[in-house]
Amino acid sequence: MDAVQFLQNFLNGISIGSVYAIFALGYTLVFSILGIINFAHGAVFTLGAYLTYSMSVGQFGIGGLLAGCQIPFQFSFPLSLLFGAIISGVAGVLIERLAFRPLRSRGADPLLALVSSLGVALVTVNIIQYLVGSEIYSFPGDVYGDIKPAFMFHISGRIVVVRTVQVIIFAVSMLILTLLGYLINFTRIGKALQAVAENAATASLLGINVDRFILYTFFLSGFLGGMAGSLVGTSFGIAGPYFGVTYGLKGLAVMVLGGLGSIPGAVLGGMVIGLAEAFVPTEYNAYKEAVAFAFLFAVLLIRPQGLLGRSQIQKV
Amino acid sequence: MEGFLQNYGFLLVTLVQQSLLAYSLYFPLMAGQLSLASPGFYALGGYIAAIMATVEYFAPWRNALGWCIFPLEWLIAGIISGFLALLVGIPALRLRGIYLALATIAFVEILRVICLNLEITGGAIGIFGIPQLFESRWSYILTFGPLLILTLFFSYRLDRSRVGRAFKAIREDELAADAMGINPTRYKVLAFVIGAVLAGVVGAMSAPFLNTWNARQGTFDASIAYLAYVLIGGSRSMWGPLLGGALLAALPEILRPLKDARLIINGLVLVFASIYLPQGIAGAIGRIRTITARKPGSVRSPK
Repeated sequence: MDAVQFLQNFLNGISIGSVYAIFALGYTLVFSILGIINFAHGAVFTLGAYLTYSMSVGQFGIGGLLAGCQIPFQFSFPLSLLFGAIISGVAGVLIERLAFRPLRSRGADPLLALVSSLGVALVTVNIIQYLVGSEIYSFPGDVYGDIKPAFMFHISGRIVVVRTVQVIIFAVSMLILTLLGYLINFTRIGKALQAVAENAATASLLGINVDRFILYTFFLSGFLGGMAGSLVGTSFGIAGPYFGVTYGLKGLAVMVLGGLGSIPGAVLGGMVIGLAEAFVPTEYNAYKEAVAFAFLFAVLLIRPQGLLGRSQIQKV
Repeated sequence: MEGFLQNYGFLLVTLVQQSLLAYSLYFPLMAGQLSLASPGFYALGGYIAAIMATVEYFAPWRNALGWCIFPLEWLIAGIISGFLALLVGIPALRLRGIYLALATIAFVEILRVICLNLEITGGAIGIFGIPQLFESRWSYILTFGPLLILTLFFSYRLDRSRVGRAFKAIREDELAADAMGINPTRYKVLAFVIGAVLAGVVGAMSAPFLNTWNARQGTFDASIAYLAYVLIGGSRSMWGPLLGGALLAALPEILRPLKDARLIINGLVLVFASIYLPQGIAGAIGRIRTITARKPGSVRSPK
């Protein structure tokens, strides 16, 4: 592999890796507070993609209840992206109210949260399928306005292509990461979230309303999931209501690779897996889907706490 | 009767098959290990049976053995699944709780992508026209039925054996079990291997039953479906997986008149069952029996 090819792969890798990072952060936030995995996160990812699509394009296909419908209003792409993510955040809150809080208040087996969150995911995905069918939706090329679809750079007689979508994905993800970093580290809400993550009982003794901060966490998680779904959808198209499932599992791999509950870990994990996928040689492209899981398996065997996670002390 | 079997025979066999897969998750869970690897071993067993039944290389075996090739397929599927489980289990079972679940999800996904790309497994299309053991679908109850009875008998005996008690001790408190001289790793791997062998054999039986086999047989969704069978049936009772498997696998059929909305309802059932039946159906039945069996005036035992 020469330097130009390396540069091309590197650019592709950090672009998709940054989306993996913000998506995995949605899992990480919930895990750090509740110590459980929200299996409905993949469904929120799907939901966000469809919401952004319907608000920015608004033309539905031939399947489902909304077949052939045209939404009378349209927003610009950035606004749709934002609204899509906000509505996904609200969906995250609803998921917590429906699937997690009732179990928590009854002190149920944490394993049941896996089943109930998957139940909610099944409901969400099938409502989407009921409404818009299972066909592929792609964003039209002019959805971002008057920008050309790709930039070419000539380096020593070779061409490196950077798609506009990739730039948008990277820029938006970095913006979100910066804002989230600020929110968590430098605001009162962030400090309270950290306190709840450290020890919910102590936090509640200190006058923090734990249930409210759990809701905030689910809002943030849903926001990140919906945003990630929209960004992936605009880059590769929305491959039917189940397309979030694969990304959902990949997000889990990213989170574990970085370290369960570690925010910098999720970012690093996203980049590592994005880059690893980008550097898979073309002849092994069919195995690309397994890269994230191979990493997940290997890291669990060698370093179960993940790259940046704290190792758990076995309490007696 | 004939008409009834024609219509519902396939469903009946499916219910038994799904319950068996629920047991493949129940055994590791008995030792407190959440393993979601069953669909991987199920798919593997199915591929072994499908390859042995269709590939040219095995033609002389098929001619020589006649119908006996089928039990041989089950045996080989069971052995290979068990061996692979041993290989994966020894390093993976050092992990606890959610980490083990994630490792097994990764295992299932890696296996799926490999099967999707190998030539011998038929790639994305899969393997077609797997020879049938019986002429009609419902007759497969003759293979799945005895396996279910065997599994039930096995769990009944296991529950009352030294090994079963060791499993439960590890589930309740691994450190305490270790201190009592139980080797947790050994028993955890054993529980994992039992589940894997069962899933592999069920896969090998299912390949002729379903006639075709492809990579969609072993997916993450299936892992969670089996987990739902066990938890909603009741993970602490040997009847739980049977109850949960039979009821939840029948649900899409019962809801068929609702057409596209049925999976929405199915999802809602999972949510509400987790909330309102935390001990599963078997647990709820047990509770009702305790309440009705209590004589008036008797003192409630402290718990």
